[in-house]
Amino acid sequence: MLNLYLFQILNGLGLGMIYFLISVGLTIIFGLLNFVNFAHGAFFMIGCYLCYALLQVTGQFWLALVLGPLIVGALAWGAEKVLIRRIYHLPHTFHILVTVGVALILQETAVIVWGPVGKSIPIPDALQGVVLMGKFAYPKYRLFLILFSAVIGFLLWLLLERTRFGALVRAGSESTEMVSLLGTNIYKLFSLTFALGVGLAGLAGVLSGPIRGAQPFMGPEVLGIAFVVVVIGGMGSFSGALVGGLLIGLVQSLMTTIWPEGASLMIYGAMAAVILLRPYGLFGRA
Amino acid sequence: MKRRSFLKSGLAATSLLAAPSMLKPAFAAAPVTIHGLKSMSGAFASYGQFAEMGSKLAVQDFGPLLGAKPEYVTIDTEGNAGKAVRKVQEAIQGGAKFFDGCTLSSTALAVGKEVAKGGGVFMTPAGADEITGSECNASTFRWTVPTFGAIQQTVRPLAKELPKAKRWYTITPQYVFGEALLSAAKDLFKELGIEHVGNSYHSMQEQEFSGYLTNAMAAQPDVLLILNFGGQSSNCLRQAVNFGLKKQMTILMAWTAGLDQFQTLGPELLEGVYLGAQYWHQVDTPMNNALVKRVKEVYGITANYPLAADYIGTKVILEAIKKAGSADGKAVAKAMEGMSYDGPTGKETIRAQDHQVLKDYYLLKGKAKKDMKDPDDLATLVSSGQSFPTGDKIACKMA
Repeated sequence: MLNLYLFQILNGLGLGMIYFLISVGLTIIFGLLNFVNFAHGAFFMIGCYLCYALLQVTGQFWLALVLGPLIVGALAWGAEKVLIRRIYHLPHTFHILVTVGVALILQETAVIVWGPVGKSIPIPDALQGVVLMGKFAYPKYRLFLILFSAVIGFLLWLLLERTRFGALVRAGSESTEMVSLLGTNIYKLFSLTFALGVGLAGLAGVLSGPIRGAQPFMGPEVLGIAFVVVVIGGMGSFSGALVGGLLIGLVQSLMTTIWPEGASLMIYGAMAAVILLRPYGLFGRA
Repeated sequence: MKRRSFLKSGLAATSLLAAPSMLKPAFAAAPVTIHGLKSMSGAFASYGQFAEMGSKLAVQDFGPLLGAKPEYVTIDTEGNAGKAVRKVQEAIQGGAKFFDGCTLSSTALAVGKEVAKGGGVFMTPAGADEITGSECNASTFRWTVPTFGAIQQTVRPLAKELPKAKRWYTITPQYVFGEALLSAAKDLFKELGIEHVGNSYHSMQEQEFSGYLTNAMAAQPDVLLILNFGGQSSNCLRQAVNFGLKKQMTILMAWTAGLDQFQTLGPELLEGVYLGAQYWHQVDTPMNNALVKRVKEVYGITANYPLAADYIGTKVILEAIKKAGSADGKAVAKAMEGMSYDGPTGKETIRAQDHQVLKDYYLLKGKAKKDMKDPDDLATLVSSGQSFPTGDKIACKMA
């Protein structure tokens, strides 16, 4: 029985890292732009489909892993230039209205291009198979996901904490007017940040493809998970996304053994408990 | 004018005046309209588009009915019971009487009640036992085999094929449909001397099954019986294969959506997996062979479950109208009771007692890619047969 719980913890860490990747882009965008992006799940879905499409064309998962997020990021860059930047100054309800519209456009586009029936995405050959741990087996691909997400998380931390771009992003989240007055092109910074955050959703989509397949209607569910993680971690907090993701992954995985029928419910139970104790999330600020 | 001549003239004049109304039924009868309830948008749109193809084809290929060519209208249920009921109410107010479709059991149950109030006829492929069980009604008919038959025709033949597989684990969605499948499976396990080594319930929203699969691995079963369906069963199987479970145990998905789901999963995931199905295009019956050929001609695709189910459902209503010689809902429902016909699964009969169609259910096995003769040759037929509750076990008490 002990082995089962230890294995569920490992599984929970794996899930948590996927949830971190899904939600970190959402929290970065909110942190800097104070913008609520309800199209985040739809961009994740597009990442999944790009993984499928690029695999069909090139047969190279690794190429899809590079190109998929870049294409999603470029799409976001374009959407920001044409639409999103026009509503930054409006209340959050307008952000929600517009981005829900964008999400529906992306969803229906996926239906038109790839059809309403989902697609399976194979695991790359190099990561096929499982690692045996006693009577348990853990997929090599999920182990890769844990390590890869940790590397992405570290690189993001370096980018946000140790580079000029990161310093500007953090400064911008405190006072956009001040950064602008100091000579930084704040609109360019906004565009880059939006593209980065959405590109990360695309990256999560590409990586999740072999586990979940690509479905046109998967966006809302992914968006729900991302918001739970961000609310637990604190809106706009990078560390919060990591800790929130891991917490949700562990709760979900352990609860499937302790109380399987309530595993999904307990994700929201954990969120409610955190909000009760810390209304702005674990790492959030008032 | 003599009295006799006067009467003759009067009769002739009256006949001439009445002629237009007498001629109308012969040359301009109001066409019978079938309303197809299809989830054309929303999360179940993939099902609805094929279902619509089936109903349209059935109406298109049917000859004149009560003096006119039958017509077809799609009502988009949007995969939502509330919206479907509202649209059906509007259609009934507009004179609609004959309905076919509904992907979701919740929608089918709600729509069935509305159609019954309006005295119409409703044929559905939805899965919940209640449709022809505890919530049956005079207007509702169901083509699909309910949970009892699905378990009997999958678990029993597989247990026979694998006599040494005595330890079974189940993964079940926790709502009425899943509970019904699980309950039927437990009863059969007891009868066959199978040890039920564990069950993981999950919620209706669940898409991440790694934790439940870990529980299954810990129980070390011979067979993993997956009792969810649709996107959940696809993700459950996909993740089970990722976790290497196919090498550790036999996997049976008791309730699949058939070809369109198999196309999504692909042969790499399906190979060696046992699959329960309501319909399979390779079943060799005269009507199925004709249907598969016709669907290929018209749509250029291989017939799948939603298409075949809604094709036959619609065709049966049309046949019943013809048999009744009337477009009166109650007369048509009466004509359907006990009706036998050549269906895609062979000879099919509508049981009068509960309006359940008695038809085969299939156990298939996923093929290896190298063994496939064409891209849709994804599974091989292992066994087929009919199992339905009988006598006191029929829950339907028709009012």
